[in-house]
Amino acid sequence: MGLMQRGGKGLLLVLVVLWSLAPIALIVSASFKPARLIFEVPPHWLFEPTLDNYRQLWSEWPQFFACLKNSLIVTAGATLLTVVVSSLAGYVYSRHQGRGLAASAFFMIVIRMFPPIVITLPLFPVVNAMHLNDSYTILILLYAAFFVSLSTWIVKAGIDQLPYELEEAAKVDGASLAQMLRMVILPLIAPTLVAASVFVLVFAWNEFLFAFIFTTTRAKTAPLILSEMMGAATGVDWGVVFAAATVQLVPVLLFVVLAQKYLVAGLTAGSVKS
Amino acid sequence: MQSTSRLTQFLLLAPAQALLVALLLLPSLYVGWLSLTDASLGRAGNFVGLANYGRLLADPPFWAALWNTFVIVNVIVYGELLLGLGLALLFASGVPFTRVMLAIVIAPYAMSEVVSVVMWNSMFDPDAGLVNWLIGRIGLGPLEWSVNRWHAFLLITLLAIWHHLPFTFLILYTARLALPKDLYEAAALDGATAWQQFRYITWRLLLPAMLVAVLFRYIFAFRIFSEVWLLTQGGPARSTEVLAIYLYKQAFSYHDFGLASATGWIMVLLSLLIALYYLRMAYRRMFAQAGGPLAGASA
Repeated sequence: MGLMQRGGKGLLLVLVVLWSLAPIALIVSASFKPARLIFEVPPHWLFEPTLDNYRQLWSEWPQFFACLKNSLIVTAGATLLTVVVSSLAGYVYSRHQGRGLAASAFFMIVIRMFPPIVITLPLFPVVNAMHLNDSYTILILLYAAFFVSLSTWIVKAGIDQLPYELEEAAKVDGASLAQMLRMVILPLIAPTLVAASVFVLVFAWNEFLFAFIFTTTRAKTAPLILSEMMGAATGVDWGVVFAAATVQLVPVLLFVVLAQKYLVAGLTAGSVKS
Repeated sequence: MQSTSRLTQFLLLAPAQALLVALLLLPSLYVGWLSLTDASLGRAGNFVGLANYGRLLADPPFWAALWNTFVIVNVIVYGELLLGLGLALLFASGVPFTRVMLAIVIAPYAMSEVVSVVMWNSMFDPDAGLVNWLIGRIGLGPLEWSVNRWHAFLLITLLAIWHHLPFTFLILYTARLALPKDLYEAAALDGATAWQQFRYITWRLLLPAMLVAVLFRYIFAFRIFSEVWLLTQGGPARSTEVLAIYLYKQAFSYHDFGLASATGWIMVLLSLLIALYYLRMAYRRMFAQAGGPLAGASA
Protein backbone atom coordinates (compact mmCIF):
# COMPACT_ATOMS: atom_id res chain seq x y z
CA MET A 1 0.00 0.00 0.00
CA GLY A 2 1.34 3.43 -0.95
CA LEU A 3 2.22 6.05 1.59
CA MET A 4 -0.54 8.32 0.27
CA GLN A 5 -3.12 5.57 0.57
CA ARG A 6 -2.01 4.68 4.05
CA GLY A 7 -2.10 8.32 5.06
CA GLY A 8 -5.60 8.66 3.62
CA LYS A 9 -6.79 5.63 5.54
CA GLY A 10 -5.22 6.94 8.73
CA LEU A 11 -7.05 10.22 8.29
CA LEU A 12 -10.32 8.38 7.67
CA LEU A 13 -9.85 6.36 10.86
CA VAL A 14 -9.22 9.54 12.84
CA LEU A 15 -12.46 10.97 11.46
CA VAL A 16 -14.32 7.77 12.37
CA VAL A 17 -13.05 7.94 15.96
CA LEU A 18 -13.93 11.64 16.20
CA TRP A 19 -17.44 11.09 14.82
CA SER A 20 -18.19 8.20 17.18
CA LEU A 21 -16.53 9.36 20.36
CA ALA A 22 -16.34 13.17 20.31
CA PRO A 23 -19.98 13.75 21.35
CA ILE A 24 -19.60 11.31 24.26
CA ALA A 25 -16.13 12.53 25.26
CA LEU A 26 -17.22 16.16 25.19
CA ILE A 27 -19.99 15.79 27.74
CA VAL A 28 -18.08 13.38 29.95
CA SER A 29 -15.11 15.75 30.12
CA ALA A 30 -17.36 18.80 30.50
CA SER A 31 -19.00 17.15 33.51
CA PHE A 32 -15.66 17.58 35.31
CA LYS A 33 -15.26 21.22 34.29
CA PRO A 34 -15.86 24.18 36.59
CA ALA A 35 -19.19 25.75 35.60
CA ARG A 36 -17.68 28.93 34.18
CA LEU A 37 -15.47 27.01 31.72
CA ILE A 38 -18.15 24.70 30.28
CA PHE A 39 -19.26 26.95 27.47
CA GLU A 40 -16.07 28.91 26.93
CA VAL A 41 -15.11 29.06 23.25
CA PRO A 42 -12.50 28.32 22.13
CA PRO A 43 -12.78 25.46 24.62
CA HIS A 44 -10.28 24.88 27.39
CA TRP A 45 -8.76 21.49 26.74
CA LEU A 46 -6.71 21.68 29.89
CA PHE A 47 -8.47 22.41 33.13
CA GLU A 48 -8.39 21.31 36.71
CA PRO A 49 -11.04 18.59 37.01
CA THR A 50 -13.62 19.17 39.70
CA LEU A 51 -16.48 17.14 41.18
CA ASP A 52 -18.59 20.26 41.75
CA ASN A 53 -21.17 19.28 39.15
CA TYR A 54 -21.58 15.88 40.76
CA ARG A 55 -21.91 17.43 44.22
CA GLN A 56 -24.54 19.78 42.90
CA LEU A 57 -26.37 16.88 41.25
CA TRP A 58 -26.40 15.07 44.59
CA SER A 59 -27.71 18.04 46.54
CA GLU A 60 -30.11 19.61 44.02
CA TRP A 61 -31.49 16.56 42.21
CA PRO A 62 -31.73 13.76 44.79
CA GLN A 63 -34.63 12.38 42.67
CA PHE A 64 -32.11 11.57 39.96
CA PHE A 65 -30.64 8.79 42.05
CA ALA A 66 -34.05 7.39 42.89
CA CYS A 67 -34.80 7.33 39.15
CA LEU A 68 -31.50 5.59 38.52
CA LYS A 69 -32.60 2.89 40.95
CA ASN A 70 -35.94 2.62 39.12
CA SER A 71 -34.08 2.20 35.84
CA LEU A 72 -32.01 -0.55 37.38
CA ILE A 73 -35.06 -2.45 38.62
CA VAL A 74 -37.00 -2.06 35.39
CA THR A 75 -34.00 -3.07 33.29
CA ALA A 76 -33.28 -6.15 35.41
CA GLY A 77 -36.95 -7.16 35.38
CA ALA A 78 -37.42 -6.68 31.64
CA THR A 79 -34.20 -8.53 30.81
CA LEU A 80 -35.04 -11.46 33.06
CA LEU A 81 -38.60 -11.76 31.81
CA THR A 82 -37.52 -11.54 28.17
CA VAL A 83 -34.79 -14.15 28.49
CA VAL A 84 -37.00 -16.61 30.40
CA VAL A 85 -40.01 -16.48 28.07
CA SER A 86 -37.76 -16.43 24.99
CA SER A 87 -35.87 -19.50 26.18
CA LEU A 88 -39.07 -21.49 26.48
CA ALA A 89 -40.39 -20.35 23.12
CA GLY A 90 -37.01 -20.62 21.39
CA TYR A 91 -36.74 -24.25 22.49
CA VAL A 92 -40.07 -25.14 20.90
CA TYR A 93 -39.26 -23.34 17.64
CA SER A 94 -35.90 -25.06 17.46
CA ARG A 95 -37.04 -28.60 18.16
CA HIS A 96 -40.47 -28.74 16.57
CA GLN A 97 -42.00 -27.96 13.24
CA GLY A 98 -45.48 -27.61 11.89
CA ARG A 99 -47.91 -25.23 10.28
CA GLY A 100 -49.29 -23.97 13.56
CA LEU A 101 -45.82 -23.22 14.86
CA ALA A 102 -44.84 -21.54 11.60
CA ALA A 103 -47.94 -19.37 11.80
CA SER A 104 -47.22 -18.32 15.38
CA ALA A 105 -43.57 -17.61 14.51
CA PHE A 106 -44.69 -15.49 11.56
CA PHE A 107 -47.05 -13.60 13.87
CA MET A 108 -44.05 -12.80 16.09
CA ILE A 109 -42.33 -11.09 13.17
CA VAL A 110 -45.34 -9.18 11.92
CA ILE A 111 -46.20 -7.80 15.35
CA ARG A 112 -42.67 -6.36 15.69
CA MET A 113 -43.45 -3.99 12.81
CA PHE A 114 -46.13 -2.15 14.81
CA PRO A 115 -45.01 1.33 15.99
CA PRO A 116 -44.85 1.64 19.81
CA ILE A 117 -46.60 5.03 19.96
CA VAL A 118 -49.77 3.48 18.54
CA ILE A 119 -50.36 1.14 21.46
CA THR A 120 -50.03 3.92 24.02
CA LEU A 121 -53.47 5.23 22.99
CA PRO A 122 -55.61 2.27 24.08
CA LEU A 123 -53.21 1.18 26.83
CA PHE A 124 -53.27 4.52 28.62
CA PRO A 125 -56.86 4.24 29.96
CA VAL A 126 -56.51 0.47 30.55
CA VAL A 127 -53.28 0.92 32.48
CA ASN A 128 -54.93 3.62 34.58
CA ALA A 129 -57.95 1.44 35.28
CA MET A 130 -55.73 -1.43 36.39
CA HIS A 131 -53.69 0.91 38.58
CA LEU A 132 -50.58 -0.03 36.67
CA ASN A 133 -49.67 3.52 35.72
CA ASP A 134 -46.43 4.73 37.26
CA SER A 135 -45.44 1.15 38.14
CA TYR A 136 -42.41 -0.98 37.36
CA THR A 137 -44.74 -3.72 36.12
CA ILE A 138 -46.09 -1.89 33.09
CA LEU A 139 -42.63 -0.82 31.90
CA ILE A 140 -41.20 -4.32 32.40
CA LEU A 141 -44.09 -5.90 30.46
CA LEU A 142 -43.87 -3.39 27.61
CA TYR A 143 -40.11 -3.62 27.23
CA ALA A 144 -40.25 -7.41 27.27
CA ALA A 145 -43.07 -7.46 24.71
CA PHE A 146 -41.00 -5.44 22.27
CA PHE A 147 -37.96 -7.71 22.54
CA VAL A 148 -39.47 -11.17 22.91
CA SER A 149 -39.44 -11.79 19.15
CA LEU A 150 -35.78 -10.95 18.64
CA SER A 151 -34.64 -12.85 21.74
CA THR A 152 -36.70 -15.91 20.82
CA TRP A 153 -35.06 -16.02 17.42
CA ILE A 154 -31.58 -15.67 18.92
CA VAL A 155 -32.26 -18.48 21.42
CA LYS A 156 -33.69 -20.68 18.67
CA ALA A 157 -30.57 -20.17 16.55
CA GLY A 158 -28.45 -21.12 19.58
CA ILE A 159 -30.38 -24.31 20.37
CA ASP A 160 -30.27 -25.25 16.66
CA GLN A 161 -26.51 -25.66 17.13
CA LEU A 162 -26.87 -28.25 19.92
CA PRO A 163 -26.88 -31.93 18.93
CA TYR A 164 -30.22 -33.57 19.64
CA GLU A 165 -28.47 -36.59 21.16
CA LEU A 166 -27.86 -34.58 24.32
CA GLU A 167 -31.57 -34.35 24.94
CA GLU A 168 -32.13 -38.01 24.17
CA ALA A 169 -29.41 -38.98 26.62
CA ALA A 170 -31.04 -36.81 29.29
CA LYS A 171 -34.40 -38.42 28.58
CA VAL A 172 -32.95 -41.91 28.80
CA ASP A 173 -31.63 -40.91 32.21
CA GLY A 174 -35.20 -40.06 33.15
CA ALA A 175 -34.93 -36.25 33.18
CA SER A 176 -38.18 -34.31 32.85
CA LEU A 177 -38.47 -31.57 30.25
CA ALA A 178 -37.96 -28.90 32.90
CA GLN A 179 -34.85 -30.62 34.27
CA MET A 180 -33.48 -31.15 30.79
CA LEU A 181 -33.97 -27.48 29.87
CA ARG A 182 -32.54 -26.20 33.12
CA MET A 183 -29.63 -28.60 33.51
CA VAL A 184 -28.64 -29.49 29.95
CA ILE A 185 -29.80 -27.00 27.34
CA LEU A 186 -29.74 -23.60 29.02
CA PRO A 187 -26.25 -23.99 30.56
CA LEU A 188 -24.90 -25.04 27.16
CA ILE A 189 -26.31 -21.98 25.42
CA ALA A 190 -25.26 -19.51 28.13
CA PRO A 191 -23.44 -17.26 25.60
CA THR A 192 -26.57 -17.25 23.43
CA LEU A 193 -28.63 -16.18 26.43
CA VAL A 194 -26.25 -13.26 26.95
CA ALA A 195 -26.66 -12.32 23.28
CA ALA A 196 -30.44 -12.54 23.71
CA SER A 197 -30.32 -10.21 26.72
CA VAL A 198 -28.00 -7.50 25.34
CA PHE A 199 -30.61 -5.81 23.18
CA VAL A 200 -33.44 -5.68 25.68
CA LEU A 201 -31.05 -4.58 28.43
CA VAL A 202 -29.73 -1.61 26.44
CA PHE A 203 -33.25 -0.73 25.30
CA ALA A 204 -34.80 -0.88 28.78
CA TRP A 205 -32.03 1.19 30.34
CA ASN A 206 -32.37 3.92 27.72
CA GLU A 207 -36.05 3.92 26.78
CA PHE A 208 -37.88 7.26 26.79
CA LEU A 209 -41.31 7.11 25.12
CA PHE A 210 -43.10 4.57 27.34
CA ALA A 211 -41.49 5.96 30.49
CA PHE A 212 -42.63 9.43 29.42
CA ILE A 213 -46.23 8.35 28.92
CA PHE A 214 -46.71 5.74 31.66
CA THR A 215 -44.70 7.05 34.63
CA THR A 216 -44.96 10.21 36.69
CA THR A 217 -43.11 9.89 39.99
CA ARG A 218 -42.72 6.50 41.64
CA ALA A 219 -41.44 4.55 38.63
CA LYS A 220 -39.82 7.45 36.78
CA THR A 221 -36.65 6.29 35.03
CA ALA A 222 -33.28 7.99 34.59
CA PRO A 223 -33.73 9.09 30.95
CA LEU A 224 -37.00 10.75 31.92
CA ILE A 225 -35.56 12.81 34.77
CA LEU A 226 -32.65 13.74 32.50
CA SER A 227 -35.10 15.16 29.99
CA GLU A 228 -36.75 17.12 32.79
CA MET A 229 -33.42 18.49 33.93
CA MET A 230 -32.81 19.65 30.37
CA GLY A 231 -36.15 21.42 30.28
CA ALA A 232 -35.99 22.82 33.81
CA ALA A 233 -37.99 26.02 34.21
CA THR A 234 -35.11 27.79 35.92
CA GLY A 235 -32.94 27.34 32.84
CA VAL A 236 -30.64 24.48 32.06
CA ASP A 237 -27.74 23.94 34.40
CA TRP A 238 -25.55 22.20 31.85
CA GLY A 239 -22.82 21.16 34.28
CA VAL A 240 -25.32 19.20 36.36
CA VAL A 241 -27.01 17.75 33.26
CA PHE A 242 -23.62 16.57 31.97
CA ALA A 243 -22.85 14.94 35.31
CA ALA A 244 -26.21 13.14 35.32
CA ALA A 245 -25.82 12.07 31.68
CA THR A 246 -22.37 10.70 32.48
CA VAL A 247 -23.71 8.66 35.40
CA GLN A 248 -26.48 7.29 33.15
CA LEU A 249 -24.29 6.46 30.14
CA VAL A 250 -21.08 5.04 31.60
CA PRO A 251 -22.47 1.70 32.90
CA VAL A 252 -24.32 0.85 29.69
CA LEU A 253 -21.39 1.96 27.54
CA LEU A 254 -19.07 -0.36 29.47
CA PHE A 255 -21.60 -3.15 29.17
CA VAL A 256 -21.90 -2.74 25.39
CA VAL A 257 -18.12 -2.66 24.97
CA LEU A 258 -17.72 -5.81 27.07
CA ALA A 259 -20.63 -7.58 25.37
CA GLN A 260 -19.54 -6.48 21.90
CA LYS A 261 -19.02 -10.07 20.75
CA TYR A 262 -22.55 -11.05 21.78
CA LEU A 263 -24.04 -7.97 20.21
CA VAL A 264 -22.53 -8.90 16.86
CA ALA A 265 -23.57 -12.55 17.26
CA GLY A 266 -27.12 -11.57 18.18
CA LEU A 267 -27.44 -9.16 15.27
CA THR A 268 -26.19 -11.79 12.89
CA ALA A 269 -28.66 -14.36 14.19
CA GLY A 270 -31.47 -11.87 14.44
CA SER A 271 -31.49 -10.06 11.17
CA VAL A 272 -29.02 -11.18 8.56
CA LYS A 273 -28.80 -14.94 8.45
CA SER A 274 -32.11 -16.02 7.16
CA MET B 1 -38.40 -35.15 17.03
CA GLN B 2 -42.04 -34.84 18.09
CA SER B 3 -41.38 -35.91 21.66
CA THR B 4 -42.81 -32.95 23.53
CA SER B 5 -46.58 -33.13 23.52
CA ARG B 6 -48.70 -30.53 21.75
CA LEU B 7 -49.93 -29.29 25.09
CA THR B 8 -46.41 -28.83 26.44
CA GLN B 9 -45.39 -26.98 23.29
CA PHE B 10 -48.38 -24.71 23.72
CA LEU B 11 -47.54 -24.05 27.37
CA LEU B 12 -43.93 -23.21 26.54
CA LEU B 13 -45.00 -20.74 23.84
CA ALA B 14 -47.84 -19.25 25.86
CA PRO B 15 -45.90 -16.65 27.92
CA ALA B 16 -44.13 -15.15 24.89
CA GLN B 17 -47.25 -15.14 22.77
CA ALA B 18 -49.38 -13.79 25.62
CA LEU B 19 -47.08 -10.78 25.99
CA LEU B 20 -47.36 -10.04 22.28
CA VAL B 21 -51.10 -10.55 22.07
CA ALA B 22 -52.00 -8.64 25.24
CA LEU B 23 -49.64 -5.69 24.84
CA LEU B 24 -49.22 -5.31 21.09
CA LEU B 25 -51.89 -7.10 19.06
CA LEU B 26 -55.06 -6.36 21.02
CA PRO B 27 -54.20 -2.69 21.66
CA SER B 28 -53.37 -2.20 17.98
CA LEU B 29 -56.62 -3.76 16.85
CA TYR B 30 -58.46 -1.69 19.42
CA VAL B 31 -56.90 1.46 17.96
CA GLY B 32 -58.37 0.38 14.64
CA TRP B 33 -61.81 0.22 16.28
CA LEU B 34 -61.30 3.52 18.14
CA SER B 35 -60.47 5.21 14.86
CA LEU B 36 -64.02 4.44 13.72
CA THR B 37 -65.64 6.01 16.80
CA ASP B 38 -65.78 9.42 18.48
CA ALA B 39 -64.25 8.06 21.71
CA SER B 40 -62.09 10.26 23.90
CA LEU B 41 -59.66 9.48 26.69
CA GLY B 42 -61.33 6.83 28.88
CA ARG B 43 -64.83 7.37 27.40
CA ALA B 44 -66.34 4.90 24.95
CA GLY B 45 -67.74 6.53 21.84
CA ASN B 46 -70.24 5.93 19.08
CA PHE B 47 -69.48 4.42 15.72
CA VAL B 48 -68.86 7.20 13.22
CA GLY B 49 -67.60 5.26 10.23
CA LEU B 50 -64.68 6.80 8.39
CA ALA B 51 -65.40 10.31 9.64
CA ASN B 52 -62.11 10.50 11.56
CA TYR B 53 -60.16 9.55 8.46
CA GLY B 54 -62.03 12.22 6.52
CA ARG B 55 -61.14 14.84 9.14
CA LEU B 56 -57.55 13.60 9.25
CA LEU B 57 -57.05 13.83 5.50
CA ALA B 58 -58.49 17.36 5.60
CA ASP B 59 -56.08 18.46 8.35
CA PRO B 60 -53.07 20.29 6.84
CA PRO B 61 -50.81 19.56 9.88
CA PHE B 62 -51.31 15.84 9.22
CA TRP B 63 -50.00 16.17 5.67
CA ALA B 64 -47.14 18.33 6.94
CA ALA B 65 -46.23 15.65 9.51
CA LEU B 66 -46.44 12.93 6.87
CA TRP B 67 -44.16 14.91 4.56
CA ASN B 68 -41.70 15.72 7.37
CA THR B 69 -41.55 12.05 8.31
CA PHE B 70 -40.92 11.10 4.70
CA VAL B 71 -38.06 13.58 4.33
CA ILE B 72 -36.43 12.81 7.69
CA VAL B 73 -36.70 9.03 7.34
CA ASN B 74 -35.21 8.96 3.85
CA VAL B 75 -32.28 11.17 4.79
CA ILE B 76 -31.61 9.04 7.88
CA VAL B 77 -31.91 5.67 6.13
CA TYR B 78 -29.84 6.47 3.06
CA GLY B 79 -27.34 8.57 4.99
CA GLU B 80 -26.78 5.59 7.27
CA LEU B 81 -26.57 3.17 4.37
CA LEU B 82 -23.91 5.26 2.66
CA LEU B 83 -21.83 5.81 5.79
CA GLY B 84 -22.39 2.25 7.00
CA LEU B 85 -21.28 0.76 3.71
CA GLY B 86 -18.18 2.97 3.55
CA LEU B 87 -17.32 2.09 7.12
CA ALA B 88 -17.91 -1.65 6.57
CA LEU B 89 -15.59 -1.65 3.54
CA LEU B 90 -12.99 0.37 5.45
CA PHE B 91 -13.05 -2.18 8.27
CA ALA B 92 -13.04 -5.12 5.85
CA SER B 93 -9.87 -3.77 4.25
CA GLY B 94 -8.18 -4.18 7.62
CA VAL B 95 -7.80 -1.59 10.37
CA PRO B 96 -5.28 -1.52 13.21
CA PHE B 97 -6.59 -2.48 16.69
CA THR B 98 -9.74 -3.95 15.12
CA ARG B 99 -11.42 -4.85 18.41
CA VAL B 100 -10.86 -1.43 19.94
CA MET B 101 -11.96 0.31 16.76
CA LEU B 102 -15.11 -1.82 16.64
CA ALA B 103 -15.90 -0.92 20.24
CA ILE B 104 -15.46 2.77 19.39
CA VAL B 105 -17.74 2.60 16.37
CA ILE B 106 -20.42 0.71 18.32
CA ALA B 107 -20.33 3.13 21.29
CA PRO B 108 -23.22 5.38 20.13
CA TYR B 109 -25.50 2.31 20.17
CA ALA B 110 -25.24 2.32 23.97
CA MET B 111 -26.52 5.88 24.31
CA SER B 112 -30.10 6.74 25.18
CA GLU B 113 -31.97 9.16 22.95
CA VAL B 114 -32.09 11.60 25.83
CA VAL B 115 -28.33 11.54 26.38
CA SER B 116 -27.75 11.84 22.64
CA VAL B 117 -29.95 14.90 22.61
CA VAL B 118 -28.00 16.35 25.56
CA MET B 119 -24.81 15.87 23.53
CA TRP B 120 -25.98 17.25 20.21
CA ASN B 121 -28.02 20.00 21.78
CA SER B 122 -25.02 21.27 23.73
CA MET B 123 -22.61 20.94 20.78
CA PHE B 124 -24.99 22.93 18.60
CA ASP B 125 -26.08 25.47 21.20
CA PRO B 126 -26.62 28.65 19.17
CA ASP B 127 -24.72 30.83 21.65
CA ALA B 128 -22.00 28.62 23.00
CA GLY B 129 -22.02 25.20 21.31
CA LEU B 130 -18.59 24.00 20.23
CA VAL B 131 -19.64 22.83 16.77
CA ASN B 132 -21.75 25.89 16.11
CA TRP B 133 -18.75 28.00 17.07
CA LEU B 134 -16.51 25.98 14.72
CA ILE B 135 -18.81 26.20 11.71
CA GLY B 136 -19.20 29.91 12.46
CA ARG B 137 -15.43 30.26 12.28
CA ILE B 138 -15.24 28.67 8.85
CA GLY B 139 -17.96 31.02 7.64
CA LEU B 140 -20.91 28.64 7.50
CA GLY B 141 -22.83 30.57 10.10
CA PRO B 142 -24.40 29.01 13.16
CA LEU B 143 -27.11 26.36 12.90
CA GLU B 144 -30.23 28.06 14.22
CA TRP B 145 -32.17 24.89 14.80
CA SER B 146 -34.56 26.30 17.39
CA VAL B 147 -35.97 28.85 14.92
CA ASN B 148 -35.19 27.44 11.48
CA ARG B 149 -37.08 24.36 10.39
CA TRP B 150 -34.47 23.07 7.95
CA HIS B 151 -31.69 23.59 10.45
CA ALA B 152 -33.74 21.58 12.93
CA PHE B 153 -34.16 18.77 10.37
CA LEU B 154 -30.43 18.77 9.78
CA LEU B 155 -29.70 18.40 13.50
CA ILE B 156 -32.37 15.72 13.98
CA THR B 157 -31.11 13.61 11.07
CA LEU B 158 -27.45 14.03 12.08
CA LEU B 159 -28.30 12.89 15.60
CA ALA B 160 -30.35 9.92 14.41
CA ILE B 161 -27.67 8.82 11.94
CA TRP B 162 -25.02 9.06 14.65
CA HIS B 163 -27.14 7.04 17.05
CA HIS B 164 -28.13 4.22 14.67
CA LEU B 165 -25.10 3.93 12.40
CA PRO B 166 -23.70 1.07 14.54
CA PHE B 167 -26.72 -1.10 13.64
CA THR B 168 -26.44 -0.52 9.87
CA PHE B 169 -22.66 -0.81 10.02
CA LEU B 170 -22.68 -4.13 11.90
CA ILE B 171 -25.17 -5.72 9.52
CA LEU B 172 -23.12 -4.69 6.48
CA TYR B 173 -19.77 -5.47 8.09
CA THR B 174 -20.71 -9.01 9.15
CA ALA B 175 -22.22 -9.61 5.71
CA ARG B 176 -19.03 -8.33 4.04
CA LEU B 177 -16.87 -10.60 6.20
CA ALA B 178 -18.96 -13.57 5.10
CA LEU B 179 -18.13 -13.03 1.40
CA PRO B 180 -15.69 -15.69 0.15
CA LYS B 181 -12.10 -14.47 -0.20
CA ASP B 182 -11.33 -16.55 -3.29
CA LEU B 183 -13.83 -14.53 -5.32
CA TYR B 184 -11.64 -11.47 -4.84
CA GLU B 185 -8.46 -13.44 -5.47
CA ALA B 186 -9.86 -14.80 -8.74
CA ALA B 187 -11.01 -11.35 -9.78
CA ALA B 188 -7.59 -9.87 -8.99
CA LEU B 189 -5.92 -12.62 -11.07
CA ASP B 190 -8.19 -11.75 -13.98
CA GLY B 191 -6.96 -8.16 -13.67
CA ALA B 192 -10.13 -6.61 -12.18
CA THR B 193 -9.53 -3.12 -10.80
CA ALA B 194 -10.58 -2.22 -7.28
CA TRP B 195 -13.62 -0.43 -8.69
CA GLN B 196 -14.61 -3.42 -10.80
CA GLN B 197 -14.24 -5.70 -7.77
CA PHE B 198 -16.52 -3.40 -5.81
CA ARG B 199 -19.04 -3.02 -8.62
CA TYR B 200 -19.29 -6.66 -9.64
CA ILE B 201 -18.56 -8.57 -6.43
CA THR B 202 -19.04 -6.50 -3.27
CA TRP B 203 -22.03 -4.47 -4.40
CA ARG B 204 -23.93 -7.40 -5.88
CA LEU B 205 -23.27 -9.83 -3.07
CA LEU B 206 -24.01 -7.25 -0.39
CA LEU B 207 -27.34 -6.23 -1.90
CA PRO B 208 -29.42 -8.64 0.24
CA ALA B 209 -27.76 -7.38 3.44
CA MET B 210 -28.23 -3.77 2.34
CA LEU B 211 -31.87 -4.50 1.69
CA VAL B 212 -32.33 -5.95 5.18
CA ALA B 213 -30.51 -3.00 6.75
CA VAL B 214 -32.54 -0.43 4.81
CA LEU B 215 -35.81 -2.16 5.52
CA PHE B 216 -35.29 -2.42 9.24
CA ARG B 217 -34.07 1.12 9.47
CA TYR B 218 -37.11 2.32 7.50
CA ILE B 219 -39.44 0.58 9.92
CA PHE B 220 -37.66 1.86 13.02
CA ALA B 221 -36.88 5.38 11.74
CA PHE B 222 -40.53 5.74 10.75
CA ARG B 223 -41.43 5.65 14.48
CA ILE B 224 -39.12 8.57 15.29
CA PHE B 225 -40.44 10.42 18.34
CA SER B 226 -37.96 11.06 21.14
CA GLU B 227 -35.26 12.85 19.17
CA VAL B 228 -37.73 15.30 17.67
CA TRP B 229 -39.72 15.69 20.87
CA LEU B 230 -36.66 16.41 22.99
CA LEU B 231 -35.07 18.81 20.50
CA THR B 232 -37.99 20.85 19.13
CA GLN B 233 -41.27 19.35 20.45
CA GLY B 234 -42.35 19.67 16.83
CA GLY B 235 -41.77 23.42 16.76
CA PRO B 236 -41.22 26.16 15.76
CA ALA B 237 -44.95 26.52 15.00
CA ARG B 238 -45.52 22.75 14.40
CA SER B 239 -43.08 22.91 11.48
CA THR B 240 -40.97 19.89 12.52
CA GLU B 241 -43.78 17.57 13.61
CA VAL B 242 -43.44 13.95 12.50
CA LEU B 243 -46.31 11.44 12.54
CA ALA B 244 -45.56 10.10 16.03
CA ILE B 245 -45.51 13.65 17.45
CA TYR B 246 -48.70 14.57 15.60
CA LEU B 247 -50.36 11.49 17.09
CA TYR B 248 -49.07 12.24 20.60
CA LYS B 249 -50.29 15.84 20.47
CA GLN B 250 -53.69 14.94 19.07
CA ALA B 251 -54.20 12.40 21.86
CA PHE B 252 -52.56 13.93 24.90
CA SER B 253 -52.58 17.69 24.20
CA TYR B 254 -55.74 18.20 22.12
CA HIS B 255 -57.60 15.14 23.46
CA ASP B 256 -58.81 14.25 19.98
CA PHE B 257 -58.66 10.47 20.22
CA GLY B 258 -60.42 10.06 16.89
CA LEU B 259 -57.69 11.80 14.91
CA ALA B 260 -54.97 10.18 17.03
CA SER B 261 -56.35 6.68 16.48
CA ALA B 262 -56.78 7.25 12.77
CA THR B 263 -53.16 8.43 12.62
CA GLY B 264 -52.12 5.37 14.62
CA TRP B 265 -53.86 2.95 12.34
CA ILE B 266 -52.37 4.69 9.29
CA MET B 267 -48.95 4.32 10.89
CA VAL B 268 -49.56 0.58 11.41
CA LEU B 269 -50.62 0.12 7.79
CA LEU B 270 -47.69 2.13 6.44
CA SER B 271 -45.27 0.11 8.60
CA LEU B 272 -46.70 -3.14 7.28
CA LEU B 273 -46.55 -1.80 3.74
CA ILE B 274 -42.85 -0.93 4.14
CA ALA B 275 -42.23 -4.38 5.60
CA LEU B 276 -44.31 -6.20 3.01
CA TYR B 277 -41.43 -7.43 0.88
CA TYR B 278 -39.53 -8.65 3.93
CA LEU B 279 -42.61 -10.26 5.44
CA ARG B 280 -43.34 -12.09 2.21
CA MET B 281 -39.80 -13.45 2.16
CA ALA B 282 -40.08 -14.53 5.79
CA TYR B 283 -43.49 -16.10 5.19
CA ARG B 284 -42.27 -18.23 2.32
CA ARG B 285 -39.21 -19.38 4.21
CA MET B 286 -41.13 -20.24 7.35
CA PHE B 287 -43.82 -22.22 5.70
CA ALA B 288 -41.27 -23.93 3.49
CA GLN B 289 -39.17 -25.10 6.44
CA ALA B 290 -40.97 -24.02 9.58
CA GLY B 291 -38.46 -21.62 11.07
CA GLY B 292 -38.44 -18.95 13.74
CA PRO B 293 -39.17 -15.28 14.04
CA LEU B 294 -36.78 -12.70 12.72
CA ALA B 295 -36.71 -9.19 13.98
CA GLY B 296 -34.50 -6.17 13.99
CA ALA B 297 -32.52 -5.25 17.01
CA SER B 298 -32.95 -1.52 17.21
CA ALA B 299 -36.08 -0.11 18.65
